[in-house]
Amino acid sequence: MLARVGKAAPDFEANAFMKGDFEKVKLSDYKGKWIVLWFYPGDFTFV
Amino acid sequence: MELKALDVEVLAISTDSQFVHQAWHEAELSKMVQGGIPFPMVSDAGGRIGQVYGVYDPDECVDIRGRFIIDPDFNIRSMEILSLDVGRNPLELIRQIKAYRYVCSTGEVTPSGWQPGQSGLKTSAELVGKVYQAWKP
Repeated sequence: MLARVGKAAPDFEANAFMKGDFEKVKLSDYKGKWIVLWFYPGDFTFV
Repeated sequence: MELKALDVEVLAISTDSQFVHQAWHEAELSKMVQGGIPFPMVSDAGGRIGQVYGVYDPDECVDIRGRFIIDPDFNIRSMEILSLDVGRNPLELIRQIKAYRYVCSTGEVTPSGWQPGQSGLKTSAELVGKVYQAWKP
């Protein structure tokens, strides 16, 4: 499934750094809220 | 942070590992943002997620500047993708979030150039061909 406006967001689970810890993050855990998914090319650059 | 005030969950994501995210956070971001970054920095190792979202550049092996707004029903409402050389305008992101919240709560639509605080338009058969009378930005 590819991302399309008006269609369900493709779900994923991935490793993350959050508030000093390493965690698994699943996008659909945020269901019920407005979500901003913000891709950027690389750490130590501008976003 | 204004996005927090809008009750929006932000996930930042790049092909860097969570360990590089941590290093960047400690070396730079924690000095720029008091208390540190309040949202997850997700690792898209290998660009698996970026490919599905159409933002993975296989030549550079990075996710380019893609931004997606997802509504509470888990549907994508908005997407913006920029090439590597131009950074983004957070004010436009905030305007769009406010516009989506506005249309969801009022059932109206927001024409081009709409700004928070302005009223929207109610779609109807009578409005067809008369938008210029109802909307004078």
